[in-house]
Amino acid sequence: MAATLTPSDPGRTLGVWEADDVGVGEIGSAMARLRHQHRAAAVQTSVLTLVVVGAPAAIEGAAATVRDLGDQHPSRTLLIGIDPDDDAEAGLDARASLELVVREGASVCYDEVRLRVRGRARYHLDSVVEPFTLPDVPVVVWLPDDLPSPGDPLLPTVDRVVVDSRAVAQERPDTLARVAALGRRLPVADLSWYRLATWRSMLAGVFEGPAHRAFAAGVDEVVVRGNHGPRTLLAGWLLRRLGLEPEQVEVGPAAHVSVHLSATAGGRRATFEVARRSDERCVEAIIAVEGAPPVVQRVQMRRRWPALALASALTTMGADRSYAEALDGSMALVGR
Amino acid sequence: MLPANPLLEPATERVAPPAVLVVFGASGDLTSRKLVPALEQLGLRRLLPNGFSVVGVARTELSDAEFLARMREGAAEVGASPEESRHLWESLAGGFRYVTGEYGDPDTFLRLRKVLEELDHERGTGGNRLYYLATPPATFATIVDSLAQADLNRSPSPESFARVVVEKPFGRDGRSAQALDETVHAAFDESQVYRIDHYLGKETVQNLLALRFANAIFEPIWNRRYVDHVQVTVAEALGVGHRGSFYEQAGALRDIVQNHVLQVLALTLMEPPASFEADAIRDEKVKALRAVDVYAPHQVGAQAVRAQYDAGWVQGSEVGAYRDEEGVNPHSERETYVAMRLEVDNWRWAGVPIYVRTGKRLPKRVTEVAMEFSAVPHLPFAASQAEGLDPAALVLRIQPDEGITLRFGAKVPGQAFRVRSVSMDFSYGAAFLEETPEAYERLLLDALVGDPTLFIRTDEVAQAWRICDPVLGAWDGGDVPLARYDAGSWGPWEAEALLAREGRRWRRP
Repeated sequence: MAATLTPSDPGRTLGVWEADDVGVGEIGSAMARLRHQHRAAAVQTSVLTLVVVGAPAAIEGAAATVRDLGDQHPSRTLLIGIDPDDDAEAGLDARASLELVVREGASVCYDEVRLRVRGRARYHLDSVVEPFTLPDVPVVVWLPDDLPSPGDPLLPTVDRVVVDSRAVAQERPDTLARVAALGRRLPVADLSWYRLATWRSMLAGVFEGPAHRAFAAGVDEVVVRGNHGPRTLLAGWLLRRLGLEPEQVEVGPAAHVSVHLSATAGGRRATFEVARRSDERCVEAIIAVEGAPPVVQRVQMRRRWPALALASALTTMGADRSYAEALDGSMALVGR
Repeated sequence: MLPANPLLEPATERVAPPAVLVVFGASGDLTSRKLVPALEQLGLRRLLPNGFSVVGVARTELSDAEFLARMREGAAEVGASPEESRHLWESLAGGFRYVTGEYGDPDTFLRLRKVLEELDHERGTGGNRLYYLATPPATFATIVDSLAQADLNRSPSPESFARVVVEKPFGRDGRSAQALDETVHAAFDESQVYRIDHYLGKETVQNLLALRFANAIFEPIWNRRYVDHVQVTVAEALGVGHRGSFYEQAGALRDIVQNHVLQVLALTLMEPPASFEADAIRDEKVKALRAVDVYAPHQVGAQAVRAQYDAGWVQGSEVGAYRDEEGVNPHSERETYVAMRLEVDNWRWAGVPIYVRTGKRLPKRVTEVAMEFSAVPHLPFAASQAEGLDPAALVLRIQPDEGITLRFGAKVPGQAFRVRSVSMDFSYGAAFLEETPEAYERLLLDALVGDPTLFIRTDEVAQAWRICDPVLGAWDGGDVPLARYDAGSWGPWEAEALLAREGRRWRRP
């Protein structure tokens, strides 16, 4: 076992402790020592424990996203990389660090623990996670590249699961059905759903106001295009929210998401379109009502979207009824 | 009534309906520095609707394109990067119009009416108008009257709205505030009037309601039995800057106490509302303000201190006296600092002094409400063991670092038993993943969606003046001498004496 305790850049990482083949208790003691050494870490404001579980490569990407949250990061983060070799001797390698972000004179301190789980320990992650959870605040587990199996021992210990249906939909056609089943056990946040927030709020926006509201009840045709998972989710949501029949909703592949609605109200026809036209990060809404000039709105998609989608997923607690509706609608479309 | 929008998330999402924001005084500072950056942020957060439009009305001659360019420049100085906001501005561009004219000229309003009708047709704004009076109060009567003459004060259909946003000051005293209200009410119902105090748009001010009414542990001690006294501080490090001539007319009591301080105080002292409906909250605020005791003229000198800053040093810079500021009378008697002792006559607060202070050129910019709790009935330690121990306090920091601090006694580590005060900090910005919206952003959206909770109702204004009028009367009558303080200090010794005579002292925020 080799352990080091080094103070680092005071603007970012306050201190780091690393060791191979260690026990959970040792890691906990090292973290307490790190906090003790750094006065800036004396007060900790936390709203959750975030556990990220995945293949080592996926964990690297997830770690970058978590860091992007920067000063909006009030959690303890546990990043668990699973060594795929079942025959390796069971054990843990750990790196614990204390991170500090300073904004306008106020500092936010959070701790990050990276674990590499070897051998059969991967089947008992609950025993690894439990000692690290902060008291009284929710535990959220995020699987960046997979869906949990129904028997996953982590599930009973967590309050909420974050998945990304788009990341797994390509390889697993039954992704949305599995997420729906998971959602009946505990609250699920799907990053793919949060990524669609721009389209959802722009679609809601096209029916705001007296000039366009009546058309919401008169939608007779919907065409949704996009990647495999998101297009089905969005189409399922529109199916249920607009009270349509599956035959009225067409779903097809495209590199970027676009939605086209046709509607009638008061004897006039109108089309409503919300689309990302190219790789440029801009979503466009066009309202074209018979007899009136078209109204165009363009919205720049926010930067840092992976972090923002994660932030949205972590901010919302409890079950998301709209998402459940969207999943239900998606099932109806997939099953036709 | 419009049917519900099936795609809107009812609990969480608030998207403004397509509407036209009509800004009077559009060529002024407030529009380019506050309103337009707030609109830009709302747009970037996708909270502005399709077709949203802005019509500027002012005397300065500008074309639509010049108005748009000026607003965009103003937003670029304080707002998002051009790259981030390019598409937003492209979609808003078609909705920016400008009407040049005098506020009293019917022709100005006929042209405004025509522009609004064009926008309804071209941008689907459906008759929704939000009039924003970003002009000096002296012009309000003329503008409101002209709007009524042009029949623009009523929405054209039952599904649409016409609302008017009024900026402070809401009058110079109770009487002028009432006159202003009568003017506004001649054209608009109270339900159409949104009086804006940007303090109420601050997250921590709203958090006061969450702290008090979402936690069972604070409410039982939020009363005369446990609270020794309350301190409200609104301190600014800046002087009057280029607002000298305005400040000569206003002073700290009108500029800060009548609105910001009393609004924060009302939220701190009010009873729990039965619901979170706008009027349920505002009813309780009015009740709290109504319970504030009013001074008799001869009491003002003993209960309220007014002062003005002399030259001094603030945050490492040498600064001049108030009387040397631009636009200020060299013999000015205008107060730049106020400290007051208030009492609230109701069951919850009877006998608990409320000390408020505000001033310019104080050591730092800070706004906070401190609940100073009573000392324990008996301290079981020797005096030497409890040196440095103050009674517990709960401090709500409103700006700049929004949060909550709890001060309590703890044992000093070591062999001896000594107790000292320590503070536990909760930083609001550090606890949540959401980005905090700016106050104007929040309030503009509220006005567009029609939520008046964070706007001030006419009876709140009247109650605030009821408290301030006797003080102003005594001051204007020359009954109370003007104290002086050095810039960079926490105020005059008279303010210290206000608390010292009751065995208390001001906190150092």
